[in-house]
Amino acid sequence: MDLLASWLGNVPDFAVPYALAALGLILTERAGVLSLGAEGLLLAGALASIGTQLAFGVAGLSLLAGMAAAALVSILFAVMVIVLRVNQVIAGLTLVFFCQGLTSLLGTLLEWTNQPIRGLPALALWPLSELPLVGKLFHQNLMVYLTVPIFLGVVWYLNRSTSGLRLRAVGENPQAADAAGIPVLAYRFAAVMAGSALVGLAGAYIAVLSTKMWIADMSGGRGWIAVALVIFARWSPWKALAGAVLFGCIEALIPQLAAAGVRLPQYFVLMTPYAVTLGVMIWVALGGRQNNAQPGALGEPYVREERR
Amino acid sequence: MSELSNATRPTSAPKRQPLTSRRYALEIRQQMAWHWQALILAVSLIFGLGISAAILIAAGVPGGELLDEFVILTLFDAQSLRAVLFQAAPIVMVGIAGCLAFRARFWNLGLEGQMIWGGIAATAISLFEVGPESTRLALMFVAATLAGLAWALAPVLLKLNLKVNEIISTLMLNYIAANFLLHLVYGAWKDPKDSFPYSPQYRAFERLPEMFDGYSMAIPLAVLVALFAWWFVGVCRAGLYLRFVDANPRVADAVGVPVRKVIVGTVLLSGGLAGIAGFVVAAGQEGRLTQAFYQGYGFSGILIAFLARNNPLAATIVALLVATLFVAGRNLQVFYQIPFSMVQLIQALIVICVASSDFFIRHRIRRIAGRES
Repeated sequence: MDLLASWLGNVPDFAVPYALAALGLILTERAGVLSLGAEGLLLAGALASIGTQLAFGVAGLSLLAGMAAAALVSILFAVMVIVLRVNQVIAGLTLVFFCQGLTSLLGTLLEWTNQPIRGLPALALWPLSELPLVGKLFHQNLMVYLTVPIFLGVVWYLNRSTSGLRLRAVGENPQAADAAGIPVLAYRFAAVMAGSALVGLAGAYIAVLSTKMWIADMSGGRGWIAVALVIFARWSPWKALAGAVLFGCIEALIPQLAAAGVRLPQYFVLMTPYAVTLGVMIWVALGGRQNNAQPGALGEPYVREERR
Repeated sequence: MSELSNATRPTSAPKRQPLTSRRYALEIRQQMAWHWQALILAVSLIFGLGISAAILIAAGVPGGELLDEFVILTLFDAQSLRAVLFQAAPIVMVGIAGCLAFRARFWNLGLEGQMIWGGIAATAISLFEVGPESTRLALMFVAATLAGLAWALAPVLLKLNLKVNEIISTLMLNYIAANFLLHLVYGAWKDPKDSFPYSPQYRAFERLPEMFDGYSMAIPLAVLVALFAWWFVGVCRAGLYLRFVDANPRVADAVGVPVRKVIVGTVLLSGGLAGIAGFVVAAGQEGRLTQAFYQGYGFSGILIAFLARNNPLAATIVALLVATLFVAGRNLQVFYQIPFSMVQLIQALIVICVASSDFFIRHRIRRIAGRES
């Protein structure tokens, strides 16, 4: 019972980065830009936040720095795919390689590697935190609680606001959106930057609040898992959230099992998130629910003068 | 309305339009003369190299010695040239593996996973002493090829049958393979002589021999791979089919091209080549299975295929340049403590510049009539 309670208590710590990253990717991809660069953006956010944390020691500032860094790097991506119309797969992959190289270079040269930092203290939401079993769920750092309004805000924006409707129109049919007077390229640019900022926030969360230090390539494939999450959530934020919680549960289970003295081959355990991702993708594909949830113009650059 | 009034009015000197009212339109170019294309490519390359040089100088390499480090010391010195060619062998293979898969419209990002399995299979043959000594190396080669090929099978079948995105599936398989490799080198296959995470050293006859002058066997092997790839895409029937599939899979299917077989075969070939690259690194450079022998090759292969526009011979040349970068990067690591990730950053920068330069080849910006001023 104790084990179950502490496992549940650890789930948000692992689920929040997935949820934020997937949310950011959905925001970008609903505008029709295929964003494969999440892995790189996570690293950019992580490194910038660690640097800020080492310099100032204010966690809130560090998280903002992570968002800003990822948004800044994403300008490069946005110029490539929106203005210069580079193939979005190539641009996304290059962004990942670029960020991996740059962050591990900077991390070493600035000597930020393996420097432990203090994260945020856990806040107990008083009446709820005393509940049996689920009490630990309400014993989290501030960012976990903040994730809820951020998530709700973005979902509201996408589904309920006029601007969100326009953004989705740009992703579904840019020609029609353009004819209706919506500035397609501006919307896409903004969507890439805002979405990337959310991915950067996820990276900052991993670095400052979860791992509490910088290690080169510390995102360890989480960005790719987030990309996969968005695909099998069919670009729906709520399903992506469910997926994020699922992965949070799996990753939170790994240290719990070790603590409980279950002897499992370590590296097979470390494989599980990737194997589960693959398994879920196959399962969703087998289910045949390949409805047309994918944004209609995903991955296609738009230029007004080009006739299709 | 305005045209009419213009036509009837006596002509005056053409008024210069204010800058803000000018309008520009983007046009798609049909074709561009090759020398212009070459010029744009050269400018973008110089731009990318310039930024890279600036970063290197900022990281602490004396600016005057960049040329020395990268060009003179690596290409005009017999020993370094050997090192570059030796380093180029596996890079050529992963580059060509990337080209083949991309020609089948398959984003094979699993080159590293396939390399890892190539290395593991070769090491298994060595560890369990399969076959007589004289054929051991050949067996290791075959095992590595088959292992790489097998690791590419699942993603291509999943893509064709279930439309599972191959970018994600191949990447996930990379992480799985990498963790399995760690399981082996930290566990059952750890060298009993010391406590480092690598397998016992291969015996002398299990390593790629040197030919003359210290040039490794890996070099002719890479040349053979390049020639084979050139034959495969340019001469043989499968290569012709592949061009159909690349242009339009549905039309290819309609005219009777065995699309499925062509795609599966090509992707398996790509995986097999990556497996061979793993064998070359394990039996050539390292002489054993190490925990990170594959690192950096996978994405170099993909970037090389992109830069070479999926042409195997061009990929060979690009791979030579990347190998130069690898060797120079290692020198910089030793002499100036520059992390090896610099090599990755430079490659990414050059790809960004070249990919962006494509815009100027494919488009033209034309001024169109401005608004009424």
